[in-house]
Amino acid sequence: MSELREVISSGNDLAAIAAVDAGCMFFGGYPITPSSEVMHTISDLLPKAGGASVQMEDEIAGVAAAIGASMSGVRSLTATSGPGISLKAENLGLAQMAEVPLVVINVMRGGPSTGLPTRVAQGDVAQAKNPSHGDYKSITLCAGNLAECYTETVRAFNLADRFMQPVFVLLDETIGHMHAKAMIPTPEAVKADIKLRKTFDGAPEEYKPYGVAQDEPAVLNPMFKGYRYHYTGLHHDADGFPTEEIETCRKLIDRLFNKVDAHKEEIELNEEYMLDDAEILLIGYGSASLAIKEAVDTLRAEGIKVGMFRPITLWPSPEERLYELGQKFDKVLSIELNQGQYLEEIQRCMGRRDIAKLTKTNGRPFSPADIIEKVKEL
Amino acid sequence: MSKIVMRFTGVGGQGVLLAGEIFAAAKIKAGGYGVKTATYTSQVRGGPTVVDIQLADSEIFYPYAIDGQIDFMLSVADKSFQLFKAGVREGGTIVIEPNLVYPSDEDRKKWNIVEIPIITIAKEEVGNVITQSVVALAIANTYTKALDEQLLIDTMLSKVPAKVHDVNKVAYELGKKYALESMK
Repeated sequence: MSELREVISSGNDLAAIAAVDAGCMFFGGYPITPSSEVMHTISDLLPKAGGASVQMEDEIAGVAAAIGASMSGVRSLTATSGPGISLKAENLGLAQMAEVPLVVINVMRGGPSTGLPTRVAQGDVAQAKNPSHGDYKSITLCAGNLAECYTETVRAFNLADRFMQPVFVLLDETIGHMHAKAMIPTPEAVKADIKLRKTFDGAPEEYKPYGVAQDEPAVLNPMFKGYRYHYTGLHHDADGFPTEEIETCRKLIDRLFNKVDAHKEEIELNEEYMLDDAEILLIGYGSASLAIKEAVDTLRAEGIKVGMFRPITLWPSPEERLYELGQKFDKVLSIELNQGQYLEEIQRCMGRRDIAKLTKTNGRPFSPADIIEKVKEL
Repeated sequence: MSKIVMRFTGVGGQGVLLAGEIFAAAKIKAGGYGVKTATYTSQVRGGPTVVDIQLADSEIFYPYAIDGQIDFMLSVADKSFQLFKAGVREGGTIVIEPNLVYPSDEDRKKWNIVEIPIITIAKEEVGNVITQSVVALAIANTYTKALDEQLLIDTMLSKVPAKVHDVNKVAYELGKKYALESMK
């Protein structure tokens, strides 16, 4: 994806445009601030691209429709904000268990409950790891600038088809609504890079959709094409039919973990800003990283050597890199627009409990001055 | 050009968002960087709204105006003026709609407060209240000299339907005229 094009847009619009460029053919959802523009824009674009966009009766029906479309074999999207994820949780669990690929854009706002609808927060990071009950591995990407609203949405579609499960793209109110220039790949480059889900083209009687290696996802052919199998949220066998057989049940959940864990290197993506000669490490993601970068530049102009580590893939977390950074840096500051939802993961990965934190949960963004002041206290 | 920071404030529904997008887009067309952010409340109509615009020649990471660095503010609602005036640097210009915004004597000492009846101009002289955002655009650019005027007008026209081009051109000219008169 070497050739880039200049666009002037907002994060929500870029996410919708990316979905269509990535070959998404169905959107099912329900409007909710601050994500509604994703639905507005894709409702305009999808019919022109031969797809369909449906505003359903509520959040639950929105994700259910998107899962159904995906079962028929097309790339499918839903978009919402934290309260919508709470409602969609049960169906997201179904998509994890039945291994239905799906992209879920969550433009985060203040919570819990209806919280602060028009204000920014990063309160859904822990929720994205485990929105539903049971054991599975979340894949969650987080856009930290306008261009990534586009590129991470594209990446999410490829990862959803690769790992056959829902993939979250987290935006937040600031990034979703900010309006500026972004340099993004051309639609041709995106199309050339599309990697669709695997399908089975052997004899239908030999088809075992869930009978795959322990580090691989299910191979689910589109429905209505002559390959019969069963979708269920229950534990299931190689054909997808419910079973309580002891080994089959153990292996299924092991595989849901292992299909992601064994291939983390295909998912991990980070940004490191001014880290090479830094003496203080700042860790942040999403829109918080915009204030962090500004603060890094200001502090460096004053002679204070700080740098930033930004996970773009939040789940699975960049365990090894965080461990290395924890060994290298004495002073580490975690910066989040929540009470420290990712801090616990940083502590776990670094094996340290002395990480400083800067958090905010009043619906307002960090200003660079907030960060500069905190760094000077370290 | 160093960074120019502007803030437009009003209440939801007045249409101050569009002016910000036009400024950002025009600056980007000129080869620079422009960022617009809008903050509003869940009370969509009548809630205080603030639009921050930053224009610069180098990349802008942080998208909001930083309090104390705002060069120019325009306000068409008193509650928004009171909430957001503190972000304007001392000596900066604040253009207000005098029928709707009521600054104190202290405000007038701290900032260069300019009274232009933006909404009356749009409603009575242009004949369409919706054009107030273009009147505001003209006033802001006349004061800040942020962008080449023709580029800004062309960008504005590209963002409004063709059937209202003429009325918006009139709105721009009137905004400019009132701004120049207020400087005398």
